[in-house]
Amino acid sequence: MPEKRNSSLVLVGHGSTLNPDSSAPTFQHADEISRRGIFAEVYCAFWKEEPSLREILRMVESDDIYVVPNFISEGYFTEIIIPRELELSGPVTHRSGKVIKYCEPVGNDPRMIDLLLHRAVEVAPGVAAEQTSLLIVGHGTHLNEKSAEAARSQATLIKERGRYAEVYAAYMEEPPNIADWRKITSQPNVVVVPFFISDGLHSYQDIPVLLGIESARTAAASQQEVFRRNPYYLDGRLLYYASAVGTEPLMAEVILDMIERFDRKYGFELAA
Amino acid sequence: MIRDDLARLIKSGYRAVGELEFEESSPGYRLYHWTDRNSLQGARRYHSIEAARELAKYDAGGKYRPLKGAPNLSSGWVIELETIDELRKALDYFYPGAIATWIAFQNGKTRPVPLRETVNRQSGMYRVTRKLGNEQARTLAKEACRSKDRCLRTILWGIEENQTPDFLPPSKSDPTFDQTGQNRAAIPFLCLEACNLLIARARSTLSRRSG
Repeated sequence: MPEKRNSSLVLVGHGSTLNPDSSAPTFQHADEISRRGIFAEVYCAFWKEEPSLREILRMVESDDIYVVPNFISEGYFTEIIIPRELELSGPVTHRSGKVIKYCEPVGNDPRMIDLLLHRAVEVAPGVAAEQTSLLIVGHGTHLNEKSAEAARSQATLIKERGRYAEVYAAYMEEPPNIADWRKITSQPNVVVVPFFISDGLHSYQDIPVLLGIESARTAAASQQEVFRRNPYYLDGRLLYYASAVGTEPLMAEVILDMIERFDRKYGFELAA
Repeated sequence: MIRDDLARLIKSGYRAVGELEFEESSPGYRLYHWTDRNSLQGARRYHSIEAARELAKYDAGGKYRPLKGAPNLSSGWVIELETIDELRKALDYFYPGAIATWIAFQNGKTRPVPLRETVNRQSGMYRVTRKLGNEQARTLAKEACRSKDRCLRTILWGIEENQTPDFLPPSKSDPTFDQTGQNRAAIPFLCLEACNLLIARARSTLSRRSG
């Protein structure tokens, strides 16, 4: 990616008031991009942590600002919360001499499918894919149907590759519910990959309870000696639960891709 | 540049923000908890801004600190940094935007947002906070924002438009007052708008009452 020394990047994460690991991947990818010296400044801002979306633009000094949502899908946060809290008027906002460029969320990148497959293979090495059900688990929310759609389209694309015996999307907050994985899947091996940004509250603490691999919420991932003890033998089947897709180091490339895509779409690459 | 403003603030005598103190040292700057002022010799030494991020994340007992203004930073460490840029970034990990907001305030470029406006734009699970009554709001902020054991920010917003933050002692909204009570020349950690934690508390209060 060409240098953009007159621009700054603001990476927006959800963050959490309960789980210290929620913001970790956002900082991790911001650090990596910062090390490359492409932008004048790289910042993180959060919905539920500080710096908040309401204060971040005071901290950024460049007049040209790219905002990339480190979110897994279009939806409630990218369409309502982030634009509202940052007071954006559209993809390009001009305000007080500054230009704020609002990019698509990282989950829209076509490479997400490869990252999901990488996670699936990594968590269950040597396990026969033709005897494996792969579940892509998303949040799902009644507030916006696009949240579920993102996981569903990834599952469809992976299914088309024909590698796994079966591939489904399942959700925390809408059907098909991840708690019903025994009914949804039929194979002796079940690989579950969280289509989430971080190993935070939902993917590390809530979903394992819904799957039945933990009886109650455990401490956060960073407070544990062992990340996870795969596989889990449940009802005669072997279940493998992966780390969230958003913790992949390759996500830094995906973030830069979202910026290049934005520049192409809105004709900024000539001005760079 | 904010780093130049910070250099100017240091030159004019500012040495503190929140629970932190900082000073020029050779070479660069050092940053520590005010209680370690006289015992820096034995303190753990760090040399990166990432250390600031981690130190800001957990309290002395290793518990997660979701609120950066909470007066519960750990002590017993010193961060030594080479440049004013690094000092600025480290301070931003502890007290995000404190310097930028203080500069903006001094230049008349800040607008405190009344709590009413903040709750009225909430949606989804926080929409219920629009029902927050004025007395409920006052009680809530009084309990959740006090400097002694909750948050060291200096509050500039009131409940309704054109109201002052009268739910806590006048010193809580005085940018020249050191919220730790140490009476230092401290850069205030200004609060221009109720944070998500307060809105979440408002939501629990209202959900509890209606449920």
